[in-house]
Amino acid sequence: MHVEGEDGDPPDFVEAREHVLETILSFERALRTAGASVPATAGIDAARALVEVGFDDRERVRAALRAVLISQEADIVAFERLFPPFWRRFAEGLDAQGSTDNVQDAVDRFGIPSASPPEPEEGDEPQLTEDEEADGAEVAATDRTVTFSAETEATPGGEDETTAIYSPSGRSERVSMGRAMLRESGDLEAAMRSLTAALASLQGRRWGREGDERVDVRRALRGSFGTGGTVVSVPTHAKKRSAVSATLLVDVSQSVLDTIDRGFLIDFLRRAVEEWRTVRVFFFDTAVREVTDAFRTRTPLEALDALEAAEAAWGGGTQIGQAIETVKREHPDAVDRNTTAVVISDGLEVGEIELLERGMSWLSAQSAAVLWCNPLAASPEYEPTCRGMAAAMPYVNGLFAFTGPDDVAEMARQLTQRGTAGPIGYEHDGRGRA
Amino acid sequence: MSDSPGTTGLEVDEAGLRTLFDEQDYVAEDDIVTTVLLSLRLGKPLLVEGEPGSGKTELGKVLADGLDTELVRLQCYEGLSAENTLYEWNYTKQLLAVQAGDRGVADEDASVFDEDYLLERPLLRALTHDGPRPPVLLIDEVDRADEEFEALLLEVLSDFQVSIPELGTVAASQPPIVVITSNRTRGLSDALKRRCLFLHIEPPSMAKERAIVREKVPELDGAVAAAVTGAVQRLREEPLLKQPGVAETLDWARAIAALRHDGEDALTETEVRNTLGCLLKEVEDVQRVDDALLSELLDSAERARAQG
Repeated sequence: MHVEGEDGDPPDFVEAREHVLETILSFERALRTAGASVPATAGIDAARALVEVGFDDRERVRAALRAVLISQEADIVAFERLFPPFWRRFAEGLDAQGSTDNVQDAVDRFGIPSASPPEPEEGDEPQLTEDEEADGAEVAATDRTVTFSAETEATPGGEDETTAIYSPSGRSERVSMGRAMLRESGDLEAAMRSLTAALASLQGRRWGREGDERVDVRRALRGSFGTGGTVVSVPTHAKKRSAVSATLLVDVSQSVLDTIDRGFLIDFLRRAVEEWRTVRVFFFDTAVREVTDAFRTRTPLEALDALEAAEAAWGGGTQIGQAIETVKREHPDAVDRNTTAVVISDGLEVGEIELLERGMSWLSAQSAAVLWCNPLAASPEYEPTCRGMAAAMPYVNGLFAFTGPDDVAEMARQLTQRGTAGPIGYEHDGRGRA
Repeated sequence: MSDSPGTTGLEVDEAGLRTLFDEQDYVAEDDIVTTVLLSLRLGKPLLVEGEPGSGKTELGKVLADGLDTELVRLQCYEGLSAENTLYEWNYTKQLLAVQAGDRGVADEDASVFDEDYLLERPLLRALTHDGPRPPVLLIDEVDRADEEFEALLLEVLSDFQVSIPELGTVAASQPPIVVITSNRTRGLSDALKRRCLFLHIEPPSMAKERAIVREKVPELDGAVAAAVTGAVQRLREEPLLKQPGVAETLDWARAIAALRHDGEDALTETEVRNTLGCLLKEVEDVQRVDDALLSELLDSAERARAQG
């Protein structure tokens, strides 16, 4: 940045001005490093803005810099997190009238960890240094090697389904269950019909809520052949009702099996495979296996027999991120832009959260929509605060309760009324949740 | 292309701006005052985002009223074109002039393509305004318009001038004060955002909302105004399909003021239930307010009333 009139200014003033410019540029870079979208000319605008509002009032400087450096709401959190260290350095430098650090060093002083979610507590304390972060990661890694206690999601009221102790590396066992638990439910049949209709009529990414009124030139041209080249009617692009294409990622870890009605789960999956056109079902705990073929049966009992015959296993720990990564690597064709991805899991991830975030990001980008069915979400006290669920939520179109046919019917109702882009999920449950 | 086409030429300081907002009964926090002040001094358009009903459009109107200047409003919608926003030729008038033989199309001295036959639309009107003070150009809900319109807007906002092929370039003698609002139904282009100062109006705190209700609905008793905001704040904790904004709170406060005879009584269950339509605009949201929630709303209202 060019500084005018440098020769004629007193040395202290020049030094202070250099400090202001350098700190602003550092702040700008720090914001970019944190993932904020800072306009290219923001540095110049920020300097102009500070000249207008002055340097001495913290709140005024904050408001001015926020106006010029931030251009979308999502970046405000990063700004508010990074402003306190900026201000301290800015004010200290002006008091001392001098600063010799280079820009990169200044960026480092902001202690940007990464473009990760903000720390829960905001304050004037600087962020973790890289070393501290590394320590934290190490502690987390150590945690993962010992027995993992399921995170309590529904803290108030203490729902009992989240208090069990699960091992992240627990061994899977052969699929087995009491035959008496398996039954065909008429309620589920009706609910599945509604869900199938809702998923089949979802708007794709190309279609707005109001449809697409553009003229379909090809159809108009084809139609004109029959009338000697005269276009009699002008057809527009219309959305075709399509069959359901879905990929079901089913968490069969012990924590899920303990909370879900296994008979309902098997019947749901069997009906999905039966009714939907293109379906792939993957079981995962610490490993992933495709079990679609086992569900191509007429009754839940046959499905269970098929699962046993295929030596499918369940009951290990939950590694959702790893599972998605495996699907991505080994079955890249399982998800495309017409596919609705349905994840059935309690979200109590014991694997690496970064891997889960990466996997969910891929799933969200590849698929038409991501629906998350969580048996824990049926509790009125439920909040998706456990680390796995919290990391996955930004990539999920809707998080629904999943304990029985009523939940499936509710999911279908919301999808029919509002589509995947609307306000859907357990928090909008229309059955009188508090 | 310059990013800073010039200041608005207004001599406004912070104290003056605060007085302006106070006079217009607009409750503005420090962030809003500083950002608007910067916008006026740097001559940059102000891009205002926030929840529906948070007072974005009101900000433009308040500025125009407070500065005693013209408000030129452009409401955006899908399919908005240059003809609707910049200018159109008055074809009927042109045709009549040509038929009457006064003017011709090619005749340079008496062409039908001059200002007499030009219909100015909002953007051009804001540029050609010749009052003592620059007008306030309010471009409302820009996210509803197409990206093509955004490109057009970029051109206008960069240099505050428009080229009319038949007439030449029309440049603003004094750049308008530009307020652009967006509800974020789609992302705006980086180019547009770069040219603007960004102001995100946060949902109001309880104290701010109470102050707004008192300013805007003076006929409502102060304690009842506090009760109203207390109930609304509690209601916002619910996962509603459509959260009530400040505009809905004001509607509700006005409804209660209009219906009650004795101004100081506490809110009653019947009163709240009968006027809930002013706050909630979705059937499912209204259904969510059962007896238990209603009683919680009244408790919150009573607590706020006691504190207020």
